[in-house]
Amino acid sequence: MLTLQRLIAELSAFWEGEGCLIEQPYDMPMGAGTMHPATFLRVLGPEPWRCAYVQPSRRPADARYGENPFRLGKHLQLQVVLKPSPEDVQNMYLRSLERLGIVPSEHDIRFEEDNWESPTLGAWGVGWQVVMDGMEITQFTYFQQAGGIDLAPITAEITYGLERIAMFLEKVNSIYDVMWNETLSYGQVRRQDEVELSRYGFEVADVDFHTLLFERNEAEAKRALEAGCVRPAYEAALACSHAFNILDARGAVSATDRVGLIRRVRDLACACARAYLAERLAVASETTQPEPAAV
Amino acid sequence: MRAVKRQDFLLEIRTEEIPAPVLGAAREDLKTRVTEELAEQGLVPESAESLATPRRLIVILRGLPDKQEDKLSEVLGPPASVAFDAEGKLTRAGEGFARAQKVDPSELVVVETPRGKTAAARRSVAGRTAAEVLAEAVPRAVSTLTFPKTMRWGSGERVFVRPIRGLLAILGGQVAPMEVLGVPSSAFTSGHRVLSDGEFAVSGVEDYLGKLRSHGVEPDGEARRVLILDAARQLAREAGGSIESDADLAATLADLVECPGVVRGSFAEEFLELPEEITTTAMRTHQKYLPVRSTSGLLPHFVAVMDNREDPKGFIARGNEWVLNARLADARFFYDDDVRQSLESRLPELARLSFHERLGDYAGKTERLEKLSESIARAVGRADLAPAVRAAARLAKTDLTTKMVREFTDLQGVVGGIYARREGYPDPVWKAIYDQYRPASASDDPPREAPGAILSLADRLDTLAGFFQIGLVPTGSKDPYGLRRAAYGAVAIIAESAWRLDWRPVVAGALALHPQGVATQASEETLVELQAFFAERLRNFLERRGHSYDEISAVLSVDVWNFADVADRAAALSEARKGTDFRSLILASKRIRNIVGDERPGPPSPELYREDAERQLAGDFLQARPVIGRLASSRRYREGLEMIASIAPSLDRFFVEVLVNCPEEELRRNRLALLASIQEEFSRLADFSEIVVEKDR
Repeated sequence: MLTLQRLIAELSAFWEGEGCLIEQPYDMPMGAGTMHPATFLRVLGPEPWRCAYVQPSRRPADARYGENPFRLGKHLQLQVVLKPSPEDVQNMYLRSLERLGIVPSEHDIRFEEDNWESPTLGAWGVGWQVVMDGMEITQFTYFQQAGGIDLAPITAEITYGLERIAMFLEKVNSIYDVMWNETLSYGQVRRQDEVELSRYGFEVADVDFHTLLFERNEAEAKRALEAGCVRPAYEAALACSHAFNILDARGAVSATDRVGLIRRVRDLACACARAYLAERLAVASETTQPEPAAV
Repeated sequence: MRAVKRQDFLLEIRTEEIPAPVLGAAREDLKTRVTEELAEQGLVPESAESLATPRRLIVILRGLPDKQEDKLSEVLGPPASVAFDAEGKLTRAGEGFARAQKVDPSELVVVETPRGKTAAARRSVAGRTAAEVLAEAVPRAVSTLTFPKTMRWGSGERVFVRPIRGLLAILGGQVAPMEVLGVPSSAFTSGHRVLSDGEFAVSGVEDYLGKLRSHGVEPDGEARRVLILDAARQLAREAGGSIESDADLAATLADLVECPGVVRGSFAEEFLELPEEITTTAMRTHQKYLPVRSTSGLLPHFVAVMDNREDPKGFIARGNEWVLNARLADARFFYDDDVRQSLESRLPELARLSFHERLGDYAGKTERLEKLSESIARAVGRADLAPAVRAAARLAKTDLTTKMVREFTDLQGVVGGIYARREGYPDPVWKAIYDQYRPASASDDPPREAPGAILSLADRLDTLAGFFQIGLVPTGSKDPYGLRRAAYGAVAIIAESAWRLDWRPVVAGALALHPQGVATQASEETLVELQAFFAERLRNFLERRGHSYDEISAVLSVDVWNFADVADRAAALSEARKGTDFRSLILASKRIRNIVGDERPGPPSPELYREDAERQLAGDFLQARPVIGRLASSRRYREGLEMIASIAPSLDRFFVEVLVNCPEEELRRNRLALLASIQEEFSRLADFSEIVVEKDR
């Protein structure tokens, strides 16, 4: 049986074989693997980059007290980024499924249009959801813009929803019945997390505290940027984003506030992206030593 | 002269999966653009056809000339008098011209030009080969294709709908060398993504189509659609049922696969207890399955389309069953949770649901809807429905707070209707809630009954009034609030109803219902903008009914706001214009408009008529006028138009025999006055001068 941890190990080994650096989960709460600097920052600039990692992704509003068999407030994504996007990237992806014991010709595998957009990151991409036997198992995106910046080269981003794939491969009817390893189920490992995170997000979280966190982190991000600390600035922006998600789950964000708060996070993300890109371009021009006449 | 040799050209652009909604247009456009580019270069094939799968755009040109015709080129030089001397011998200037043009002096000729006789160098230019022309035409055709959304990939320099991964170009059995978006052509292609391995060589059209099919790809979308439907019907029959005809879904499915296969699955019978709309939406919209139905209702089966020939191990059927059962379990969870709370008790939650940041929340919208739908009910003469539409309007938006609508967003309204029915609300109320978003598109039906039509209208007019008065109007292709669709639906509901009235005061009422201080412009200004907006939607609506551009312009220039009446007049006009007298009536109307211009000369005086033709026209018109008026006010437009057309012969005679712009000013003004009053009477139904007539041959 393909347990959740085997699934992670096999996919990681596969992408390692395709030349990916195996990064680690970022040590901060975030809504999606895309927000990890190994994606959001590294898609910027000219340097090639191949990387894979697991990222716990927190969406407090999706939490369901551990009761809904399909929904989690914190789920696992396995994220792969390939820059520039390779010619045969779709076939690479299919081979990764073979690594999981899936024989593509015995299944129905389709790439159905699904474009991606993140207003908080000023990012969007074009691509598909990969549907296998009726189940959406992967997001496949050609990143077009990040932090408001048009990208070139273009990064292909492949995001596996690990719990869903595991459920599907094990044909169990609840996330909590997925086997994490041979002896422990996902429920045994994570259900209590879900119960408490749900209670916290929906009932307990202190609105003033998280509002303060949002504001202080926003100010700190700007201060860090001014001091030339791009990555710490981005971390503060991530903290803002998570504070926003908690406030949202808590029902403390009105529809009007919502737009403004998202824009504030986006402004930070865009500023970090610009600063990061400037840094990478400077490095690139140093290492390539352009002709004096080059602009 | 050399006989034209012809050969077949095959083009296949292989891409990553092109979105199904744009595939059909991409296929057609590519064929059109390639043939246009070739025609410009003088190469016209005997036939052109196009095929497509999600992963390939195919153009097949049969009988393409193998080269352009040779052409005579002529370059003009100095005047003949300069190039040749008196004896007709070449001068030094003439020799110089021949040298510069690299022709033998004997090839210089004299041609007539507007400047007089001129020396010219004439030379024959060999036509280019089809391969040479194609190498330019195809890339140019591809670069002019447009898509709603394009993307970049790899190094980020190329732009297309999805990355291009291969190019097959075969002309008369040989590779036609070319490059499209950085991809060079070859004689190789590949088959189905997982049913075929590697690449194979292609020698021509028939070879290509045969090999594609044996490599798991059916290139013809229509063939895929038919295969899917036939196989699906067969599977449904075996399960003791049938599938509903769903042309849109079948066409979408055909454009999602290269190898059209079907598989049948089942779901747990307990889910048949869920409202059918929810079960079928989960199948049809979320999973793109075809539901299976027997005469006694939905069966716990479905047919799924797969991009595969068969499912010998049952993985595909089992996977799809698992997914659908999970979705339905989710839906039941929402349903059970939702129905614990009445719709009425959800009302307070509407205050927390924003409609638009500048237009307030759904509690406000609900209040306006109650008032507006009641006033519409009265305006259309259905005051008896006022209590029902008020009750429906009050609950209309409460389903937005349900878990079901949050998950099944396209069931908004339907879910509210189902829950209201369950709570025992009377038919007119729950059906109105159920139908409030109809028609969802131009091809959708309007609400089934009057209360639903009134609620749907109220909702649309309120939304339009709100966004227009704060200046958030659609621009170009951007219509983020769906205002065009909202207005189109309003026009369609009204035009198909028997509600003939001036809607301007109703819309003005909708504007007034929004709180003071919201509007950023005067309501008069907003009404002018809305009139133009509705006129465009009416135009679309009438075009869909088969009316031509000019007849729509003719009826719209009389009045816009009585939508149903506009539609009546358009129908009458398109009938009447088939009549024999109508053409001369239109020509006469155009003449009248040109002569009268902006003058408003007042009524004509009979004592100033001088000519017979003049008297006859005045007499005919005087007789017809009250009849036209009566017919128009009883909306017998067809007969009214025939009555108008009956004056055409005397109008014709008038224009032949009478000089309007005569020297006597008094007579001139009186003739103008007669024409102007005729024009005024005619234009109660349509502005005939807008109608286009074919020129005499």
